[in-house]
Amino acid sequence: MSVKREKAGFEPLYIDNVYVAYGKADVLSDVSMEILPGRITCLLGGNGAGKSTLIRAILGLTPPRQGSIAFDGVDITHEAPHRIVARGIACIPEGRRIFPKMSVYENLLMGAYQEKSRARIRATLEKVYALFPRLEERSRQLAGTMSGGEQAMVSIGRGLMRAPKLLVIDEPSLGLSPALVNENFRIIRKICEEGTAVFLVEQNVRQTLAIAHYGYVLSQGRVVAGGTAEDLKKAEQVQKAYFG
Amino acid sequence: MDLILQFCMNGLMLGMMYALVAVGFTLFFGVLDVIVFSHGDTVMIGSFAGLAMYWWLGSYYPELAVFWMTLWVLLAAVAVVALLGMLTADAMIVPLRKGPPLNTLLATMMLGTVLRESIRLFFPDGSNPQTFPGLLPDWSWQSGNLNLRFDNIVLFCSGACIIALVHLVINRTRLGMAIRAVAQDEEAAQLMGVNFRFIVLATFALGSSVAAFAGVMNGMYYNEINFGVGLLLGAIGFSSAVIGGLGNVYGAILGGFIFAFLQTIGVVVMPFASAYKDVFAFGAVILLMAWRPTGLIAEPASKRV
Repeated sequence: MSVKREKAGFEPLYIDNVYVAYGKADVLSDVSMEILPGRITCLLGGNGAGKSTLIRAILGLTPPRQGSIAFDGVDITHEAPHRIVARGIACIPEGRRIFPKMSVYENLLMGAYQEKSRARIRATLEKVYALFPRLEERSRQLAGTMSGGEQAMVSIGRGLMRAPKLLVIDEPSLGLSPALVNENFRIIRKICEEGTAVFLVEQNVRQTLAIAHYGYVLSQGRVVAGGTAEDLKKAEQVQKAYFG
Repeated sequence: MDLILQFCMNGLMLGMMYALVAVGFTLFFGVLDVIVFSHGDTVMIGSFAGLAMYWWLGSYYPELAVFWMTLWVLLAAVAVVALLGMLTADAMIVPLRKGPPLNTLLATMMLGTVLRESIRLFFPDGSNPQTFPGLLPDWSWQSGNLNLRFDNIVLFCSGACIIALVHLVINRTRLGMAIRAVAQDEEAAQLMGVNFRFIVLATFALGSSVAAFAGVMNGMYYNEINFGVGLLLGAIGFSSAVIGGLGNVYGAILGGFIFAFLQTIGVVVMPFASAYKDVFAFGAVILLMAWRPTGLIAEPASKRV
């Protein structure tokens, strides 16, 4: 299993007519999307629209019951999560999901779990520390004892540790102060400018559309709109998806 | 004074054995949130695998030096039990996770019975107690009432080494980091690229190997094993893990020694009724649980939400 390390070029992530069900009820029906390299694709939708379920399907935690997902030219629909991660998709999960009883340093190491080269781990660690100097100061602290904002840094830093081709970010601004939310969006844009494609799941419509290039709107498990960020700003479906 | 020292020595030996069993319970609970009730019988299988190896060596290589003999007996026990542990996890516990946790409890309990009865039925003369070889030279040192056996000291020190080794694996290796990650947040660990199935199997191999050592230790200490030893050892190991706080490896070790200490106290304060030492110890465990329901080394309540 050899993973190509060049970040810039990969075949897009294609989500094709995907249905995902928990038990007998379909949470996603007939969802199709395209996530291209080099840009921020956002996914908007209210509570219960199925955003997190789509993320789980992409990463193999809840495989679709129908349809297919392909990344970098390979069908990953029914692959185990660790295989999908090996192909170059990283995730900053909803609710941060840091490892509370590990130090900040160990949390970051977990982000590079599949990386064998110590030199490369050290290099990305330096980069993450440069992005979040606070994490270096607190590297020995148990992550569970940090403040919410600091935990968000740990979670983002962890997601960057393997220099992924595609970074999936699920609701990064949930529960953060407005200042930290702004900081988060600035960092996400920077990640994209450095060559990592970003799939951003958010409820914060205005700020998300301000940095995204392309976007989809999910409502009750279906894609109700898709287009460039400019188009979406005007589209009435976006209004509808949020305000009924 | 001699007598107190003697009690301490015996207590430490038993404590080490219980700690080794309890570590397995706590590791399995950590990664899969299940209590594997067949773990005690796994220990018993370890004793019998070691004994079988001893018989085999005795008939084919009777001249083998003591050291190599002991090593092979240990290796056989570890290999058989690690395999059994991995098989249990992969074929039974992981598939059952889709159902209610009670099913897993029931299934592992039944597995314990199957293991016990298999030994009773299929091991040569398995329904009777078997003499387990001392293996090590029976040197001892006597002073008044204190009798220090060489093999006990070796067993105790090796047990301590095993515990130190487990500590190193859990805290200092990439595998150990992944085990801890899975224990803290299974899905997040998978999102970091951890192969969940591999980690489960590795954890069961680790916990079961430690139990195999406890099984051989148990045989060498009492010089006798029978198909039922796992029942009590399992109950004791489980209690020790719970006293210490399930999911915490150091708690399990502490719990093992506390249980042995309680048993010893039982013998000391009631010498006329030493057969009731287990009743005393288990009774004390019930009181301990009433006092500290989350175990002595409590996990932060926020861990599982």
